Parts: sequence; structure tokens; C-alpha cells
Amino acid sequence: MDILNNLAIGFGTAVTLQNLLYCLIGCLVGTLIGVLPGIGPVATIAMLLPLTFKLPPEAALIMLAGIYYGAAYGGSTTAILVNLPGEASSVVTALDGYKMAQNGRAGAALSISAIGSFFAGTVGTLLIVLFAKPLTEMAQKFGPSEYCSLMALGLVAAVVLASGSVIKAIAMVFLGLMIGLVGTDVNTGAQRFTFNIPELSDGIDFAPIAMGLFGIAEIIANLEKRSTRTVEQTVITSLWPTREEVRQAWPAVLRGTGIGSILGVLPGGGPTLSAFSAYTLEKKLSKTPQMFGKGAVAGVASPESANNAASQTSFIPMLTLGIPSNAVMALMVGAMIIQGIQPGPEVMTKKPELFWGMIASMWIGNLMLVIINLPLIGIWVKLLTVPYRFLYPSILLFCCIGAYSLQNSTFHVMTVAIFGVIGYIFLKLGCEGAPFLLGLVLGPQMEEYFRRAMLLSRGDATVFVTRPLSAGLLAVTVLLLILMALPALRKKREEAFQEDS
Amino acid sequence: MNRFLTKDFLAGLMFVGFGGLAYIAAFTDLSRYFGQSKLALGTAVRMGPGYVPQMLAFIMMALGAIIAITALVTSSERIEGGKWKPIVMITLGVVAFGVLLDPGNVPAIVSWFASGLPRWENPVSGLLPALVALVFLSASGGDEFKWRETAIMCAVLTVICFVIFKWGLSMNIAMLTGVW
Repeated sequence: MDILNNLAIGFGTAVTLQNLLYCLIGCLVGTLIGVLPGIGPVATIAMLLPLTFKLPPEAALIMLAGIYYGAAYGGSTTAILVNLPGEASSVVTALDGYKMAQNGRAGAALSISAIGSFFAGTVGTLLIVLFAKPLTEMAQKFGPSEYCSLMALGLVAAVVLASGSVIKAIAMVFLGLMIGLVGTDVNTGAQRFTFNIPELSDGIDFAPIAMGLFGIAEIIANLEKRSTRTVEQTVITSLWPTREEVRQAWPAVLRGTGIGSILGVLPGGGPTLSAFSAYTLEKKLSKTPQMFGKGAVAGVASPESANNAASQTSFIPMLTLGIPSNAVMALMVGAMIIQGIQPGPEVMTKKPELFWGMIASMWIGNLMLVIINLPLIGIWVKLLTVPYRFLYPSILLFCCIGAYSLQNSTFHVMTVAIFGVIGYIFLKLGCEGAPFLLGLVLGPQMEEYFRRAMLLSRGDATVFVTRPLSAGLLAVTVLLLILMALPALRKKREEAFQEDS
Repeated sequence: MNRFLTKDFLAGLMFVGFGGLAYIAAFTDLSRYFGQSKLALGTAVRMGPGYVPQMLAFIMMALGAIIAITALVTSSERIEGGKWKPIVMITLGVVAFGVLLDPGNVPAIVSWFASGLPRWENPVSGLLPALVALVFLSASGGDEFKWRETAIMCAVLTVICFVIFKWGLSMNIAMLTGVW
């Protein structure tokens, strides 16, 4: 009954006119950037963050969440219709989705992907409701040493599950932690790495850093590649899938939802990894694996459900423990801190209307997305015909204005420029931005917990391994690192990321 | 030379560099230049502001060294050359936007690097000049740059910005300082 009660609170919050409106805005913006290649949810959320300052916390977070899961929907639309995945999570959808469209089944592919996504989103939302309470209760037993170990686990797991070199990603986490130190030390008031620049005494804001790393650097890289996009319009005849297609799709949707829900919770998992894994699994299980890549219905249904389930369940660690599992969640943590809410287990007990309202809004948002996507598909595809040379100066402009409006200071605009260059260097050196951003957002808290734990234990570092919960978390962390060092597993992991990409 | 121009080797060097810079910035007396003295280390029980930075700097240098050495011993992917135009023009565009948006920005930016310069204000500032500079500079960083097209884009974006930021959100941002 408790759950029903909580859901009632949630829907009570989410179904106010204001929150519905912000949910719709979030979903529309999310779909828009999902459709447009070259700008992702991280840069967009960073860009729009200053606009949420004046909003109440519920509306702000509902809108930002909408952008995140909306992008997953939008990305699949263009993947299917024009073979241009707007987001990394839709790359695999393009394989079979575009082939289906060429075979004249574009409408069916779109509706299967939308309905599969909606189903997965519903299951994901339900899972959050079920897991929120027990996880929060566990987290309330945590002391500073447990928190510190939990963050270490979160950071390491995020690195291990992400693609690319593990040791480079770990170094990026440390670099992020280091940049997170800039500013006034909370315990002593000493200025660290501020170089007499007054703007730095509050620390470097993460939003301009995210805009630079994920917005500007991306644009520069795109311009170097000089891609000429030719958009061929596919004619959509009927949105209805045939009975045979439905029969092939539904088990794939179920499996995709399952994989996505599990991988979404894991730090570093998220939509992209889930979509890839779901596609691989589907191909292995299929009786007709030769059909994959030639327009297999399951090859659309499964990754689409998986990425959407994962976008939902990746909220679980963030909402219950305050630990972001990917770069977008790191920004959400930042958005909560700006609103004066310390993310963590207290959010659920102290701000139930925010917590449950956000969850309820996700389900409503998923419903809105089905409606936005299916009938309005023509408009979204039209947007793709806008050439990139018009698009990127506009993206840059909105990034700059967004950075300025954080504190009405052009200092942040300069930060964007500097981190654009740094991000470009990162791209060239094959270093990923996401672990850096996670380290940056978690850094100040982690140092705080670390120092508090050491103070409580009177300088005895063994506290991290003598307290059972903390020891368990650290053991898992170490285990993950050892597993990664094993050559056989490393190879498997590389294969998993290269599959069909 | 080729074996040094790999992604991993250079990435390793970068991490060693960042760690080293952080160590130097934290533990040398910079009060002559920045009015910032050395950070106190403290003890494990009562950590000073320098304890965690020192730890992180050491870890970063160690990780960077491991990455660089591994890259030398085993093979690593070669770094790809880039084009100068996109990175230079886009960075210039963003910097120009920052400089032109506020009237008093030129000295503020210069003073980060050299203090005590005379105060000097932009003769022209505001969202409009900043926008024009950003759009023109960044557009010229691409392969297909056309004057007329870019001018039209500026006009359209000005209208959009005016409607969204001045009307819609009533932001305190001048289109042309002192005029509009």
C-alpha cells in the first residue's frame, strides 16, 4: 500500500499544469536534439541548466529528465528513417531499422520502436518505484567511510563498463577529481588552485566544463570530418505492423527491457551499452541470425527497448544513493545541488513530492513521447534537412548564452572556450570525457567524506576495510579492477564494444 | 620519432604534466605572483588543504607514467593530424563572444594574466555584436562559408535570441549596451 501511496504523491505532483508543461518541453527538446546529430543530451542539459534556476526544483528536474529520455526516442526516429543515428544509443537501431524502411516497412519499424520503448520505459519506472525504498534504507546506514567506498566503486564501475582504455579512463577520473578541488577548501577556508582569480574561489562550475567537453569539442571534431549528409526521404505508408512482425517483436521487447533494466542500474552502463548488448543477444538467440542487418524486426525492437529501459533505471543509483552512473546523471546531481538539494537517501524522505513526482513524470513523459513521435514524425525528419553549417553556429551561440547566464558573468564563457580546446585534445588522445565529468562532480563530496572518515577513525586508514559494508564495497571495486586486468576478459570486452559498430 | 607520436604515449605525458603542474601549483610559494601561499599538508587525522591534492597529484603522475611507458613498450594507435581552422576559429569565436558581451570585459580578462593595466572599455558591446562575431568567426571555420548566408543567419538568430531571452525569459542582457 505504501507504494500506491507514494505513487499517488508522485502523480499529484506530476499532473499539475506547470509540471506537465515542463515535462512536455523537456520531451520536445529531448526529441529535437535526439533527431539532430552533433548535439547530445549532456551538452543540452548543461546549456539549459541556467534556465532552471528560477524554476521550482520539481519542474527543473522533470524537464531535465525529459531531455534525457526524450533524446533516446528521437535518436531512433532518424536512425530508422534516414540511417543517421542522432545518439550513440541508436547506432544499432540503424542497422536493421533503416533496412526495414528500405523494404517499405518504415512505419512498422517506427511504431514497434516507439511502443517497445514505451513498454520498456514503463517497466523501468516501475523498477525505480520498487527499488527506491530498500536501497534508500540501506544507504541510510552509511557512514562517511561507506560513502567514500561507494563512490570509489561507482567511479571504477563506470570506467570498466565504458568503452576504451580502462587505465586512461581511471586517469581521467583522477583528473576530474583534481579539477574538482579548485576553489575554497571547505574545512580550512584555504584557497586551492585559484591563482587569485575571484571567480575560481567557488570552484569551476561543471556546466561550462560539460558544454566545452561535450558541445564545443564535438563540433570541432565534426567540422574536421567534413561529412556531407544526403537525406533521402522515406515514404511512410502505414504505421501498423503486421501480425507476423508483432509476433517477432514482442519477445525481443521483453528481453531488451530486461537487459536494459539491469545494465542501466550499473554505473557506466546506460543506454548505449544496453542497446549494443541487447542486439548481440538477440542475434545469438535468433533462429534466423542471417536476417540481422537485413531488416530483422527483433533487431529494432530489442535495442530500442533496452536503451529506453536503461535511461529509466540509470536514475536509480542517482536518486537513492546520490551516485551518478553516467555523465547525464552527473549533471542531474549538479542540478539538484544548485537547487539546494543534497542528492542522496534523504531526498526520498525529506522531499517525497520531488522524488515521487519525478518518477511519475517519467512515465507521463514516456506516454507523451509516443504521441510526439508517431504523428509528428514528418516534422522531425524535416529538421534533418537543415545543413550542419547552419546548425553549429546556433549551438555555439546557445552554449555561450547559457554559460553567461549561469552567473551573468563572461568568465564562464571563457571557461567554455578553454574546455573546448581541452576537450579537443582529449578527443585526439582518445581520452573520454564522461569519467572526467563524473570525477569532477563527485570530487568535492568524496574528499569531504574521505577527510571525515579519517577524522573519525583518528587517522587510521584501515577504517575503510574494517567496517564490513565499506570493505564489501571496496572488495567489489578491487575485483572489478582485477577482472579487467585479465587478458581474456579484456579481449571479450573489446569484442563486445566492437560488435557491429 | 613515430613511436612517441601515439595517442597513449601523449595521453600519459598529459596526465604526468597535469599531476606535476598541480603539485607545483600547490606546494611552491606562489605568493609573489598570485598571492597564494603553499598549501598545508596536515596530518592524516586533521588533513590540511594540501593533503588530498598531494595524494591526487602523485596518483596522476604514476598513472600517467604507466600509460606512457606501456605505450612505448607495446604498440599504440598513432595520433591523427587535425585541421587548424575549426579549432582556431571556433575558439576565437567563443572568446570574442565573451569579450564583446559586456562593456568592461577587456581589462577583466587581461588582468587574469597581468594585473595593474589601465582600465579600458569596449566601445561596442552587447549581445548583438557578440553574436555577430561568434557566428561569423565560427562559420568561417567550416568548409562552406558564404557571406550572405551567414549574414542572414545572424539576423535570424538575433530575432530568436531577442524573443527567447529578452521577451520570454526577460533576462538582464543588453542587445547593444547603452542603446537597446
